[in-house]
Amino acid sequence: MTDTAHPMLKYLKTTGPSGPRLPFIMCPGCGAGQVLNYTLHAVDQLLAEGELQKKDVVFISGVGCSSRLTSHYLQFDSGWTIHGRSLAIATGALLANPNLKIIVFTGDGDAAAIGGNHFIHACRRNLNVTIICINNGLYGMTGGQVAPTTAAGAATTTTPHGNVEDPFDLCRLAETAGAAYVARWSTAHPRQSVKAVVKGIRKNGAAFIEILSQCPVHKKTDPVEMFKELRQITARSTDAAAMASGKIPVGEFCDIDKPDWISRYQRIIDQLRRQEDHSCTV
Amino acid sequence: MLKSKKLIQPGTHYLQGAEACAEGAMLAGCRVYAGYPITPATEIMEHFANRLPALGGRTIQMEDEIASASVLLGASWAGAKAMTATSSPGFSLMQEVISFSIMTETPMVVVDVQRPGPGQGYITTSQEDVMQARWGHHGEGSIIALAPASVQDMFDFTIRAFNLSERWRTPVLVMAEETVAHMRERLVIPPLEAIEIVDRRQPQDAGILPRDYLPYGHGQVPPMAIWGQGYDINHVSLVHHEDGRVSGYNAQTHFNNVDRIRRKIEDNVAAIADVEARYIEGCRHLVICYGSVSRTAVEAVLEARRIHGVAIGFIRLRTLWPFPEAKLRDLVPGVETIFVPEMNLGMMKHPITEALRDRCRKVVAIPSLGCLHTPDQILARIREEIQ
Amino acid sequence: MYRLNLNTAYCKGCGICIEACPKNAIASSGRIDGKGHVLPQEGDMKRCSGCRLCELVCPDFAIALTEDASTKEETDEDK
Repeated sequence: MTDTAHPMLKYLKTTGPSGPRLPFIMCPGCGAGQVLNYTLHAVDQLLAEGELQKKDVVFISGVGCSSRLTSHYLQFDSGWTIHGRSLAIATGALLANPNLKIIVFTGDGDAAAIGGNHFIHACRRNLNVTIICINNGLYGMTGGQVAPTTAAGAATTTTPHGNVEDPFDLCRLAETAGAAYVARWSTAHPRQSVKAVVKGIRKNGAAFIEILSQCPVHKKTDPVEMFKELRQITARSTDAAAMASGKIPVGEFCDIDKPDWISRYQRIIDQLRRQEDHSCTV
Repeated sequence: MLKSKKLIQPGTHYLQGAEACAEGAMLAGCRVYAGYPITPATEIMEHFANRLPALGGRTIQMEDEIASASVLLGASWAGAKAMTATSSPGFSLMQEVISFSIMTETPMVVVDVQRPGPGQGYITTSQEDVMQARWGHHGEGSIIALAPASVQDMFDFTIRAFNLSERWRTPVLVMAEETVAHMRERLVIPPLEAIEIVDRRQPQDAGILPRDYLPYGHGQVPPMAIWGQGYDINHVSLVHHEDGRVSGYNAQTHFNNVDRIRRKIEDNVAAIADVEARYIEGCRHLVICYGSVSRTAVEAVLEARRIHGVAIGFIRLRTLWPFPEAKLRDLVPGVETIFVPEMNLGMMKHPITEALRDRCRKVVAIPSLGCLHTPDQILARIREEIQ
Repeated sequence: MYRLNLNTAYCKGCGICIEACPKNAIASSGRIDGKGHVLPQEGDMKRCSGCRLCELVCPDFAIALTEDASTKEETDEDK
């Protein structure tokens, strides 16, 4: 008989000297665990193909339900950091060790509200990071407040009379800011999500992968219903009729090759180190 | 110098404080610099931008001060010594990162080239952030803050800041001021072998294997695993157990976690905090000062002693935090008046008073806002008080 | 033939595996466990093609497929 444990459990710290860490803190049916599952499948594939070394893989997250994935669960180097600042922290890690393969878990609030500035600059710099944004259209951890991705008119705990703002299109934001790979899927697109994460990690530059995700607790909806609904409200961006009828576009929006920040700066380092030395005494 | 591929060489130099600070950092091994332009600290970043790539390091101008400080976290976790320099408004922005750095026990150096506040304040000199240095980060914990008073100090203290941050796994603040960052003075650098450089202790150094590693255990200062070496270290600032687990919360775990972090610094004040004392023997009055004010204060003390026959001593705090209370009490006999000239309206005067209230009759603040006291200003106040 | 292995300590009864299975091989147990969860169980496992979508979509890493070795041997002997 083969091992009866889930194949990705080998990448998790299920327990430790001070006690057990699983089951996950996430609510039943939360999409965040699914995104972790898809991501680990992608990493597993790349490790098996020899494209990655496990010791080089680093997960960084900020704050929120999405960011809880790194809280103490991963059998990888990781950091559960400050709300919105994961990408600035990732920048520092790359400046110190460009060989690290950094995957950032973020949420819609973490990335586009408090982290908005760092998000657009990380894309603009084409920082070699894979950014996985788990978008549930609200602030989950704090109880269901409005987010920059909440639909206009929606009632949330801080817009009880209806949201008077329009949401960001995070993929358009990432693409305009300069990310080299941009894609949107949902938790109801498991295999496509895995493929996107594989592509994102392979991409030398900023890869932004938005994964629409269900929050059954704050939407007060059965997780299976939400899972089915994600399939129904999305359609391939190439499907003109579906786009015209208001479906949310999923698919790849951008996939270009351009040098990342580290390689551009490396040219300066190499050039300076090649030049004649000038004495450093006054 | 800007085009050199080498570290600054031993010998005599004539440099601006900002340059001396940057050169000291590079000599200490700093290879990642992130910053945001702000008067009067910008020269430090510009110097790094010129010099660091030739040494194989990387300088980046980030989108704001919060991002700049955040860069240091990732860089440090990935094994680099990293630094930023800012001024007072930027220092305020960095406080969350500093708090996080204390809890995650991340070595990093933050230079605050102080200017007046509140708000935009002004772009001259000040010492108005010295309390913020200790208490600006939210929550408990402790911090190390040094107060350079010269270009030589900007060099020496920056090296010391890196050494302390590596030794104690903590952020260290260099509380400079516009005066000391912009002044130009002689800098003497000894042979490089004479300069101590400290590197963080890693689990490999203690023979700890990844499967046995406790990221927040193995002693008062946990050995720090670097990303990329197979230790699967998770940096976390929620209250945690020694193995990094965050569930199973209870009051005792909370206390153990946070109290160890605070005591890591506070129990070791003797090793960390530094003061300079002169003319203490037989003194009836005392000046206690720090930073560039000590340059003019010492002139006032000398003149008071030699010309006016006042038996007044001089103490300079080289370390502001952890506050060197025990060292001060050991040094200071009973005196009548303690004078505390500061470029603020009275801040370090408070821990000084708390430490020495029973050793004096009175503590007198000598404030100055936005500009350095002249020796005459300090002397006049001393003479007025002791008449 | 495939067998379903459920880690009842991790499973929160979200039901997504039941929904995601393209062969309707997973069923609900219909029973509420001590934590308030209605866990899944094996349905008609002869339908299972071993696609492992259930493993992929599980938010809690609670479900795993194993190939039943005895059934496999039977198939070989039959050939």
